[in-house]
Amino acid sequence: MSKQAIQWLYHELPRLVAQGLLTPEADAKLRAHYGPIEPARPARLAVIIFGVLGALLIGAGIMLVLAHNWEDLSRPVRAVLSFLPLVLAQGLAAWTMFNRPQSLAWREGAGALLFLMIGASISLVAQTYNISGDLPRFLLTWALLGLPVVYLLDAVVPALLYLWGITEWACHLRWEDGFAAGYWPLAALLLPLLALWLRAGRYRVRPTLLLWALCVSVTVAAGVTIERVLPGLWIMLYAGLFALMFLIGEFWYGAAEGFWARPLRHFGAAGVLVLAFLFTFEWPWKEIGWNYWYGGRFHHPAWRAIPDAVLGSLIPIAAIVLLGMTVRRKTPLGLLFGLAPILAILGYALASLTDTYAPSAGLFDLYLLVAGLWLLVSGIRINKQGQMNVGLLAITALLVARFFDSDLDFLLRGLLFIALGIAFLVANIVMLRRKGANHEQA
Amino acid sequence: MNKRNLILLGFALVVAAQLAVPAWMIMEREWTLRDGQVFKFRTRPIDPADAFRGRYVWLGLEPGVVKTRDVNAWHYDQKAFAVLGTDTNEFATVERLEHKAPAGQAAVPVHVGWTDTKKGEVHINWTGLDRFYMTEQKAPAAEIAYREHNRRTNQTCHVTVRVRGTHAVIEDLFMDGRPIHAWLKAHPGDK
Repeated sequence: MSKQAIQWLYHELPRLVAQGLLTPEADAKLRAHYGPIEPARPARLAVIIFGVLGALLIGAGIMLVLAHNWEDLSRPVRAVLSFLPLVLAQGLAAWTMFNRPQSLAWREGAGALLFLMIGASISLVAQTYNISGDLPRFLLTWALLGLPVVYLLDAVVPALLYLWGITEWACHLRWEDGFAAGYWPLAALLLPLLALWLRAGRYRVRPTLLLWALCVSVTVAAGVTIERVLPGLWIMLYAGLFALMFLIGEFWYGAAEGFWARPLRHFGAAGVLVLAFLFTFEWPWKEIGWNYWYGGRFHHPAWRAIPDAVLGSLIPIAAIVLLGMTVRRKTPLGLLFGLAPILAILGYALASLTDTYAPSAGLFDLYLLVAGLWLLVSGIRINKQGQMNVGLLAITALLVARFFDSDLDFLLRGLLFIALGIAFLVANIVMLRRKGANHEQA
Repeated sequence: MNKRNLILLGFALVVAAQLAVPAWMIMEREWTLRDGQVFKFRTRPIDPADAFRGRYVWLGLEPGVVKTRDVNAWHYDQKAFAVLGTDTNEFATVERLEHKAPAGQAAVPVHVGWTDTKKGEVHINWTGLDRFYMTEQKAPAAEIAYREHNRRTNQTCHVTVRVRGTHAVIEDLFMDGRPIHAWLKAHPGDK
């Protein structure tokens, strides 16, 4: 049970005992079962946040001061200067490891600073010797040298910086027509850390933060690490990826409360809905499939297409396997979002076999409408305003997009917009009233 | 070995690796600057639109085109080794392009731009040698001067590059035969 739920329970208990619904013994047993609530320590959190912010600012400042380019200094002096910030940051990290191993603020701050100073040091050498950028190589060297900092200091900020580094590296490599699938093993190097943190507490702040960052990073990387020899592969890949995220979130992180505490679920759901919206247009379905195989124009060795095959099949299959498990658990939302990859594969097959686009787009028109209605209705039922509004938003987006496709006159379009606006307002007002009524009753 | 010593050892290794990378970068270049053969490159006018300038001068080394018989063996963005020679004025020339680093000859890694099959020419980019870093105040002045000189008086600019095997390091940028820093001091108003 999450901390908020226990807090609510403890808040309710005295009243329940007073009303005679619970015996004092049951009250004591419940308190013993759930244990004391750790008091939130806002002061400590502030210290951590400001520690990290301070380290990042100082690090960025040092990098800018170095970037000023002190050409009046001789080369040996500049060589020494390039090491100075790095050595100081290493000293600080060592001091933290052995004198303040318990302090999260010190660990995060020192880790962030050290990570940045590795980049600063390499940059300054590059500047001194007029090394023009092989940017991907610089990013990769920096990230790999920084990775051990993550583990030695057990800190999340260097982990986020590392993730940024390898994502940026993959993007630049892709931009230069390079082979970026190395991103996946590099990202996997963070998994032991994530596993450790998840075991220590699945709903803590640091693994949650890392999961949010991983969602973003993996979404970017899925696009840049495939060679796109099979046109339209992204349709199935992304549908599978977002569904997989949602299902994992739904499966193993069900007890978390609030939007930010459930990165996989919410990122995945948003991904599926946005993707489904894109799929209601005809352009994603044009010129896809084996008939448009890119192999002939592909001037790289064939093995570079292996990640396409692996990612394009593994991710949707994993999502579908999880969907099968969801069916047994009977979670309707899991079923709804988990269907996306199956529909994507179906749409893909339809479009590539028949070379017509309308059926596939129509399939997702239907899907988005059903998903929107489902979210709307179930949101109202279980009093979740956010869910209700997401449903309304999905329906609105669909209607607006279709009405702009068609040649209806302005009067009709105007009336539609007014109707949608009223629906939004009424639904929200009703929901707020109902919540208010519930509060008064309680 | 107890846990603390293990962590200490790990930390020491990490620290060593973090220091080794910049140290190696410095050493490699110092060797080249000390032992490398000097080549003087003419420079060509540069494209004035680039968002990142200001902190360095963008260099366009010459020659930018290499005559070759096997034009079709090259494609866009391919890595190549430009085997260097010198002309009668002691400026660098490219004798030929190679796919692999030739042994015992000064050759600089370049990237193939576009190829002209009719003329038998391969356009090359000196990707590793296109920046000369300066302070943020001086770089724009130097760049304007550099551009003016390349245009007006036609090639009174050159850079010296030290080459050791396939490793090349820019030594200095010259304007009217004088190093850029000295030249800027002598022409404070000429910006």
